[in-house]
Amino acid sequence: MNCQQFQEVLPYIIESGGGGEDEAHLQTCPSCAALVQDLRYIAEQAKLLLPMHDPNPRVWNNIEQSLHREGLLPEGRMSLPGHLTKNSTAQAQAKSWTPVGWALALTATILFAVVLTNYKPQLPQNQLTAQNSSAEPSQFNSDDRQLMSQLSQQSPEARGAYESSLRDVNAYISDAQQAAQRDPQDPTAQELLQDAYEQKEMLYEMATARSLP
Amino acid sequence: MRRDVTAMTMTTNRSRIATTLAMPAHRLLLSTAAAALTAYIFLSPAHAADTRKEAKIDIAPGGMVNIISGGGSVALHSGSGRQVLATYTVHSDKIEVDQNSSTDKQRVELRTHALPGQQPTADQARVDYDITVPSGVSVNVSTTSAPITAEGLSGDIGLSSETGQITITNALKSHVRVRSMAAPVTLKDVTLSRIDIQSAGGAVQLSNVTGQRVGVGTTSGNIEYRGDCSGGGDYIFTTHSGAIDMTLPATASVDLSARSTTGAVENAFPLEERHHNSFVPQPGRSFAGTSNSGSSSVELQSFSGKIRVKKQ
Repeated sequence: MNCQQFQEVLPYIIESGGGGEDEAHLQTCPSCAALVQDLRYIAEQAKLLLPMHDPNPRVWNNIEQSLHREGLLPEGRMSLPGHLTKNSTAQAQAKSWTPVGWALALTATILFAVVLTNYKPQLPQNQLTAQNSSAEPSQFNSDDRQLMSQLSQQSPEARGAYESSLRDVNAYISDAQQAAQRDPQDPTAQELLQDAYEQKEMLYEMATARSLP
Repeated sequence: MRRDVTAMTMTTNRSRIATTLAMPAHRLLLSTAAAALTAYIFLSPAHAADTRKEAKIDIAPGGMVNIISGGGSVALHSGSGRQVLATYTVHSDKIEVDQNSSTDKQRVELRTHALPGQQPTADQARVDYDITVPSGVSVNVSTTSAPITAEGLSGDIGLSSETGQITITNALKSHVRVRSMAAPVTLKDVTLSRIDIQSAGGAVQLSNVTGQRVGVGTTSGNIEYRGDCSGGGDYIFTTHSGAIDMTLPATASVDLSARSTTGAVENAFPLEERHHNSFVPQPGRSFAGTSNSGSSSVELQSFSGKIRVKKQ
């Protein structure tokens, strides 16, 4: 199982704990292990938000009486929280969700979803070539990864600089391609695309011609 | 702190004087020589590992000089005669410079490389080149971090660096090709030339640069042009996310168009509206127009970078 396959079953793993193959991957991949740890922490924290009960009914009663005295609360405007005690257990559980609790739970859920959607594992170099390029469609293709792998052996600093430049130029190519597809008759879009490819060609030439570390 | 140093120096001087008075003459002489030698070794800027070499290499008219280096610096000058004058300083004994020349004298190469089994650091890999090239000889320089300067050259000039600043000044009737990954590129007073600059992240500054074709392409590097775009040439500046800033004098004779796919476009230069455009100008995204007789064609294109044209 590789990182991409692991991520596809990640929600199931968080929910159920995962199986043997998942555990085996977690043992060998510190990146995915760290992700699972983070997600489990978020899930645990989200659970803590759920049982947020209302204050004692006497508090609500006192507030309501004060509002009536001040003339700020028309009759029948506010339901009496004290009535909760008359509801069934299920209703009481449902009513126990305060707006703040709802907001926090919703925030945690959104955060969880965002982490799952945007997570891009920082894979060890030897795993990069084994990954499907669709994991990062707009960032690096297999040639880019091979180039960066070769640069890593020469100089990690050079690899970082080239990685940054390749990321930028791939974004350029992607943007120019979309512009050219939107309007195939647009000469500017075609020129931008050609220029983007020239930039990438230049980076490849420079990387392969490196003489010294 | 300076006071402390002065006090310490005075104390040292006093004790030295006292010792000196008690010394025989020959011991005094030996001590002085030893002190001078020690000071030379430790304080001299020319460290013992520095090796400076000079070479005069014959080259045929129309020949080519190739320089390949990592760090340090490369300075190119124009000279006369039929010899390349190469001076270089190597800063460690872990690297050396190979000097090759073809039998027909059409090609001279200076290449920095590590000695077998050595892994020099970036600092140890530095070599400072100073090269004088006869007029009309082509030059190709490729470095990783060494800045490259070229002064007064003509002919074919190809300069490439990953991060070293590239500067070309006072070039005439040249064909200039510049490649940069993140290196800033500066051209000043380069006239009647054909120029092709590709820079991924390095900013490109052109001042008084004219010619048949002046092309600059960047991914994220900014492009700045100051000059009159004279010569009836094609000036094409293209970028993905860098800014393009063009400053023209009122006398500039240009047929100018500026377009950005998603970036802003601003014009503060007086242009007459064209009768026929290849595109429909969109306020804030594109404009086109002519100044004076419009002898040079200027095309400014970006995807998201801001384009600004203003009057000098």
